[in-house]
Amino acid sequence: MIWQTIFLGLMLQLILVIGAKYPKNINIWPMPESVEYGNQTLTISKDFNLKVDGSKYKDKSSILKDSFTRLLDVVTSNNVIEYNFGKVDQSNLLQGIHVVILSEDDQLQYGVDESYKLNILSKGNPNYAYIEAATVYGTLHAMQTFSQLCHFNLHTRKLIVSQTPISITDRPRFSYRGLHIDTSRHYQPLPMIKKVIDSMAYAKLNVLHWHIVDEQSFPLEIPSFPKLWNGAYSRPERYTVAAAADIVSYAQRRGINVLAELDVPGHARSWGIGYPALWPSKTCREPLDVSNDFTFELINGVLSDFSKIFKFRFVHLGGDEVDTSCWKLTPRIQKWLKNKGLNESTAYEYFVLRAQKIALSHGYEVINWEETFNHFGSKLDRKTVVHNWLGGGVAEQVVKAGLRCIVSNQDKWYLDHLDNDWQQVYMNEPLTNITNPEQQKLVIGGEVCAWAETIDGSNIEQTIWPRAAAAAERLWTHPDKLAKDPNEVTSRIANFRCLLNQRGVAAAPLDVPGRAAPIGPGSCYVQ
Amino acid sequence: MPTRFPTINPKSLHFFFTILTICLHLTPIINSRTIRRIGSPSYLSSDDSSVTYLWPLPSNFTSGNETLVVDPNLSISVSGNGGSSVIVREAIARYKTIIFKHVGSSKSRGTSNSDYDVNKVTVIVHSDDEELQLGVDESYTLLVAKNNGLSIIGEVTIEANTVYGALRGLETFSQLCSFDYGTKTVQLYNAPWFITDKPRFEFRGLLLDTSRHYYPIDIIKQIIESMSYAKLNVLHWHIIDEQSFPLEVPAYPKLWKGAYRKWERYTVEDASEIVNFAKMRGINVMAEIDVPGHAESWGTGYPDLWPSSTCREPLDVSKNFTFDVLSGILQDMRDIFPFELFHLGGDEVNTDCWNDTPHVKQWLQDMNMTAKDAYRYFVIKAQEIAISKNWTPVNWEETFNTFAEKLNPNTVVHNWLGPGVCPKAVAQGFKCIYSNQGVWYLDHLDVTWDGFYDAEPLEGITDSVEQKLVIGGEVCMWSETADPSNVQQTIWPRAAAAAERLWTSKEAAPTSNTSETALTRLHYFRCLLTRRGVQASPVTNLYARSPPIGPGSCYDQ
Repeated sequence: MIWQTIFLGLMLQLILVIGAKYPKNINIWPMPESVEYGNQTLTISKDFNLKVDGSKYKDKSSILKDSFTRLLDVVTSNNVIEYNFGKVDQSNLLQGIHVVILSEDDQLQYGVDESYKLNILSKGNPNYAYIEAATVYGTLHAMQTFSQLCHFNLHTRKLIVSQTPISITDRPRFSYRGLHIDTSRHYQPLPMIKKVIDSMAYAKLNVLHWHIVDEQSFPLEIPSFPKLWNGAYSRPERYTVAAAADIVSYAQRRGINVLAELDVPGHARSWGIGYPALWPSKTCREPLDVSNDFTFELINGVLSDFSKIFKFRFVHLGGDEVDTSCWKLTPRIQKWLKNKGLNESTAYEYFVLRAQKIALSHGYEVINWEETFNHFGSKLDRKTVVHNWLGGGVAEQVVKAGLRCIVSNQDKWYLDHLDNDWQQVYMNEPLTNITNPEQQKLVIGGEVCAWAETIDGSNIEQTIWPRAAAAAERLWTHPDKLAKDPNEVTSRIANFRCLLNQRGVAAAPLDVPGRAAPIGPGSCYVQ
Repeated sequence: MPTRFPTINPKSLHFFFTILTICLHLTPIINSRTIRRIGSPSYLSSDDSSVTYLWPLPSNFTSGNETLVVDPNLSISVSGNGGSSVIVREAIARYKTIIFKHVGSSKSRGTSNSDYDVNKVTVIVHSDDEELQLGVDESYTLLVAKNNGLSIIGEVTIEANTVYGALRGLETFSQLCSFDYGTKTVQLYNAPWFITDKPRFEFRGLLLDTSRHYYPIDIIKQIIESMSYAKLNVLHWHIIDEQSFPLEVPAYPKLWKGAYRKWERYTVEDASEIVNFAKMRGINVMAEIDVPGHAESWGTGYPDLWPSSTCREPLDVSKNFTFDVLSGILQDMRDIFPFELFHLGGDEVNTDCWNDTPHVKQWLQDMNMTAKDAYRYFVIKAQEIAISKNWTPVNWEETFNTFAEKLNPNTVVHNWLGPGVCPKAVAQGFKCIYSNQGVWYLDHLDVTWDGFYDAEPLEGITDSVEQKLVIGGEVCMWSETADPSNVQQTIWPRAAAAAERLWTSKEAAPTSNTSETALTRLHYFRCLLTRRGVQASPVTNLYARSPPIGPGSCYDQ
């Protein structure tokens, strides 16, 4: 009996230590599913290297090797490190990382296994951190976690990993963790987009939703219809096919898919600069002319070109904010509607469904903004993913109807709403009021949106960060490890914000509205 | 001690111009001082646009009307005594990345050299002396001509006396190259080009304040990199102030206890790394310790430096320990900062604490000094320590305004309070740096680009000897409300406006009619910065670093 009590007591203590909800001194963002740690310190050796013995993955395109190089870059970029190891005990050195990947495949498809294990023993000769993952993409996340465990020791001038032994098991809660950028309201130069992708990887976000085109400008080259990019703001404010492919590949090598969007028929005025026949008339330019077959030929051409660049399973066809008055006001279209027996509202449905069919014919599954569901949900292709934005409670309706959903309710997850503070972003729960496990599975994830009316190359990063990080933890971390009160994680997210700054990302202070300047002098860690 | 650099051998210069004259006869050149077709902001939307915009504008150039296509496998070679310079070699690698960033890696089109007009850049550096000091020769010539068998000089030649002149020439060359979205090649418009360029002022500075907010090394490097695009050449590093003491001082290791946090610190090695990174881009780092008025953070580690624990500023003038610490800091900094100028601050000294603290007051009485005398005593003593370590002191203008006659005659007076100070300083034989806060303080968010552009460092100085004493100017990025999240868009594009004022001759960059002569070019330069990854703000916003007012082209906002 006494032994049992002692045993139970010990177990309880053990559970308290390992199972503590927010490991106090662990500053990993987003929080892994499980972390156990000790209090020994290891020093990173000069020839810190990557070992892959026993790994099935062949790394033909160097995704793993490059990620290791980037890891070294980010952990060493901020200080000059002393690599003279005169009197350091060899067994306290960390020689490198031993990576074992169980799958040969490096396809980055939707739902790819992103889980990983990371173990660091406090001694060994030689001592290697051990990462095990099903895919290379799980390994990339493990590298990110590892990078957050490395610190510069101001006294020894060496890089250290403290709190060893460390044992981490981790996997994402949702398979779709998105960030939306808009390159139509303002053009974003390539280095800006790449920096955004880099920083997404730090927060384990995995989908860049690229709202390429809208009514204001058409920056992307479309070889099938080359005059479309006449709709660019200017000659240099354009993306070639090669540049777009470069972005896709850059993202893929960081475990991030690019979701391309073509927002039809409502947000497409810029298309008509090159092809005025797409406008209902010269004076009434939106939505795209529903009565003209050329409109759909062109959509087909664009999606055909898309399919050569954007290999993600999904394409986004927009479908939001369609004001059909131009269809009513243009006599030619009015006549066509009558002949077809359509009214404005059914013509909108006709357009969206026809566009969906074209996308399906190119092998895509379709994502549409929620208005399409709200108006004619039952007509949508059954594989449609409905993208919520107008407000809360939509996901609930969508999954009840058996469709999949992405949550982006604007009152919490629109980053261009500068008054959405990080606490609100953090607390936005995609599964609110959805209890049925089958329905829960239909919520594939969520996305924060940075619409670019007032975002350009000068301020994109501080509009996104640190608030997107709050959503990233909501989407990544197991619900048991999520804070019920965001103030419990303030210091950890502040630490992540400062880490972004150290990595050259212009993440804004936490204690001011979105992207505002710091209110006065002070430490990064408290602002 | 200024270092002398060899001038171009007059013979080779003569030869160069002979060849140039021949070229001028062979190719039609439109001679222009200001670039043509300025004024239509949406010029780039039209398809026939092939215009080149340079910032800052070279003092002398001619251009033509040919378009040349640049070989993506462009070879850039370096010759002359400075031909083996690592500084130039690394710069070439950086600029190649910038120039060919948009060219896809796929080699689908012809790869034979003859498909391109420009295959080769020759950089000639006459001197192998890489010492970077005030007044180093930054001049260069840049010649771009098609190699068509007629020209004797083929293609692109950059010629400079020093590696730093070569860096400026490479920057200009990179701005001549644009990616053409039709042919997907890099093109060089308005060729042939002949540019002879040199800076108007030898000191073209940007102040960065790492005490009000800490900037990680990576961010400081981004800032230095962007300075090189605008040909600025001095980073005035206001390292320490009352709020925090981020720098390690081995002689007094407790000083950096005054850092905000453990991680908001620079080691000696980190600081050296910054100096070296800057030097590779032809930029000097002028360090500042602002004594005695802006030094409260020193006392976190050594409370004896405060007059008392409740009255903490200025530094305790009565203690020898204060000057021991000062001397220790300067000694340690001497190993980090090779630049000949060192900034000792001396501004905004409120001496109340000296009068209010009994032991300091007693000392003043014993020394028969007023608080104002003690301020002078402090500054002069700090100057003596700096001079003993082979530094030329720079001080904020209050020191000159209060006791000019006592300042070391080599002192460089740093203006900030308002206009009219440099004229007074140079009239008394002092050198001067212009930073009039009404026009060149970047934290004054209501000063627009043209306010920066129209400023004139030589305002009110007509005597040519006195004019030479104005070594240049500096824009100041005080960091009360700037941190890593917004520093770049507070600096840019306004710092660029000042950069042209400091680089380009007054004749080539007049202050009249600037919406015609400068605004479109500045729009272009701002977009160039964003394309190079620098978060430069819209140009024409009334309030600096505010977001764009609505959707639109970078070139219009």
